[in-house]
Amino acid sequence: MANIILDELGFAYPGALEPTLLPLSVEIKDGEAFALLGASGAGKTTLLNLLSGLLVPTTGRILFNGVDVSSQSGSERNLAQVFQFPVLYESLTIADNLAFPLRARKAVNGFSAVDIASRVAKIAGELEIENLLKRKPKTLSLFQKQLVAIGRALMRPDVSVVLLDEPLTAVEPRTKWQLRQSLKRLQEELGVTMIYVTHDQTEALTFADRVAVMADGKILQTASPQEVYEQPAHEFVGFFIGSPGMNFVAIDSAIPAPMYAASGVDQFAQRIGFRPEWARLEHPPMTHPLSAVHWLGRVTHCQILGTQDGVPVGITTLASEVGELKVRGAINATVGEEIMVVVDRCVSFCAEHYVATHYAQSSTSQLTNPVGNE
Amino acid sequence: MSLRSRGQENHANEDSLFKVGGVFLKHSFCALFSVIGVCWAVICCSICNVILLGWAMLRIQNVLLNPGLNCGFDHDFLPGGMTVVLGRNQAGKTNLCRLIAGLFTQADGELSLNNAPLNKLSPQKRSVAVVFQAFVNYPNWSVQQNIASPMVAAGKDKAYIQGRVEELAEKLGLGELLQRMPNELSGGQQQRLAIARALAKEAQVLLLDEPLVNLDYKLREALALELRSLLDDSDTTVIYTTTDPKDAFTLGDDLLLLDGGGKLQAGAPLSVYQKPNTFAAANLMSDPGINTFAWSTLSDQAFAQQSQAASDISQLGGVRPEHLFFVDKGEFNAAECIGFDLQVSALETSGDETFVHGLVQASNQGMVNQPSWVVRSPGMLNFSQGQKLLVAVQKRDILAFGGQ
Repeated sequence: MANIILDELGFAYPGALEPTLLPLSVEIKDGEAFALLGASGAGKTTLLNLLSGLLVPTTGRILFNGVDVSSQSGSERNLAQVFQFPVLYESLTIADNLAFPLRARKAVNGFSAVDIASRVAKIAGELEIENLLKRKPKTLSLFQKQLVAIGRALMRPDVSVVLLDEPLTAVEPRTKWQLRQSLKRLQEELGVTMIYVTHDQTEALTFADRVAVMADGKILQTASPQEVYEQPAHEFVGFFIGSPGMNFVAIDSAIPAPMYAASGVDQFAQRIGFRPEWARLEHPPMTHPLSAVHWLGRVTHCQILGTQDGVPVGITTLASEVGELKVRGAINATVGEEIMVVVDRCVSFCAEHYVATHYAQSSTSQLTNPVGNE
Repeated sequence: MSLRSRGQENHANEDSLFKVGGVFLKHSFCALFSVIGVCWAVICCSICNVILLGWAMLRIQNVLLNPGLNCGFDHDFLPGGMTVVLGRNQAGKTNLCRLIAGLFTQADGELSLNNAPLNKLSPQKRSVAVVFQAFVNYPNWSVQQNIASPMVAAGKDKAYIQGRVEELAEKLGLGELLQRMPNELSGGQQQRLAIARALAKEAQVLLLDEPLVNLDYKLREALALELRSLLDDSDTTVIYTTTDPKDAFTLGDDLLLLDGGGKLQAGAPLSVYQKPNTFAAANLMSDPGINTFAWSTLSDQAFAQQSQAASDISQLGGVRPEHLFFVDKGEFNAAECIGFDLQVSALETSGDETFVHGLVQASNQGMVNQPSWVVRSPGMLNFSQGQKLLVAVQKRDILAFGGQ
């Protein structure tokens, strides 16, 4: 297991004008489940290749437990990797596939056949694949194969870090959560440092203790899933996390300043952002507190996601004086209708960076506790 | 907007036909007459629409999508609207597209477009355009040449082609990229190019076979909405296949559910969601799947018996994950709700929603056939594994199913 420090790590492909990865620093704690989240082209794979030793950094250093490994090969770094598609030895049984990493390093580690067998049994037990051990990969489903690939990555007890590159891409959507759950449980039980690369917010937020959100070769925020969702450090994070992402409204002369002042938004803030689920639609007469930011909007689109209490719920899109707004909740207006958008909670940004969170006062009690504590 | 209302008319039509089939014996004669009246009005109206506006009437009959089936199905696709075809892998979605397009497939059945048989026509002669899951473009032609290709093949004149290419490129956000080659485009742009080329064919029927599945989710979200507004004011009859129930609501005027090569149900997305005919149909429209329980195990037996009596074949009760909510022991209304004890086994969160997986406890006599349930709840929840919670559902949201 290792504590990993990226120290001003940067990378540019030879001949490229722009660096793919701008110098970034982050510490990944020993035994932490860490996720790198970003769209394609954000630099996630480059960062992963730097960690695995496939690329050599242009600037900065990578430290494993305080030792500079920047110029070491992948095998010297003692890491394991799980890829998008399961990569198994087709000619070997599942048991032999699992045993392979230990057998390959027998000379270094000095594992006996008994040690190996007991480790195989332990990992197979953790992943509940004991019944597959005698089979060949070709008789397994994709899901089972990926389970084996994960098991193999966890075989060496001394592995410094396990890198996972979109490991659930090939798995059927409905079974993803089970695999993710097995992975998470193993990660906690074995205390392995794991770095999980994905473009899927659900995977990152569910799996990780901390998430680093990447865009354009930079890490915009490294924080707990809850913080990333509730207090995005950067406007892009607010946009990228959540489906749909945050609404943004500029604070300028077009919007009455008293409204913002009443809501407590800092005078230095340039824009406010609010999640579709932080706002609601209200027909006149208005009952919203004065401190809530509000605008009149005309409904342009209703996207139903289901029903609640017999009423359709989903995303309502509105055109308003401050631009397009999306609100999640009961769909209580039809296309073309005018209705008030009331924001119960918002965050403010200055130069695209987070300033503060604001609650409309009378509804604070209900809103400060969206996180169901025990 | 116009598409939406057309969609609804079509369903009113279908619903009423269905009722004539027998179920509505319970209804009063008044309702019968009004239904027939509406039905007639709608039929006349849609016939007028088809004749006046030239919306393509695509009809499939006796279709067998997968080999080894012995009972085919019929379906009339909504003229000028978008039909979402929802089904899991292997449900026959791609076979359906290939059958309509005239490509090699194991599916079989009779096709007609505006009442003219289609089966004997070669793919080139059919007024059908296709966009596949994989991004298919001519790799050695520029964006402009790619979009122009179907019009060049059809022998349109140059000035027309140029104008149309610019118009389509503009609509699909490719206006700045006309001179690029496909491999210089991002995945989203490549798929937009394929869509532009399909639209350039000006076919009466457009087939979109899981077109967004290979894209990042953020891009998928944006492109689905773009696609919807792009096709809103076109007369094309669009068929869009997907595995994601969300697409049915986002995109569909009409919905066709496929399972194992057969038709499960069809209708307006919301009506299929609210009144699924079978458990399979309800489950297919649900992500994650439906939670089930046996009526005999319900704590509120009076309600259980009443529900079963209402649909005399009911063996299984179902609850959609989004219809469950967390409540405190004291504060839930037993007259309107049913409660279940849930022990949390796993959490998934996307920020805006949390899926709480758990086991329903036997203690409330709710011995559930499939003891693992999922609660889909707004917001980012934070429960610990093993935590015990009370979840409730409104009685009117409970679904009742027959066998299987």
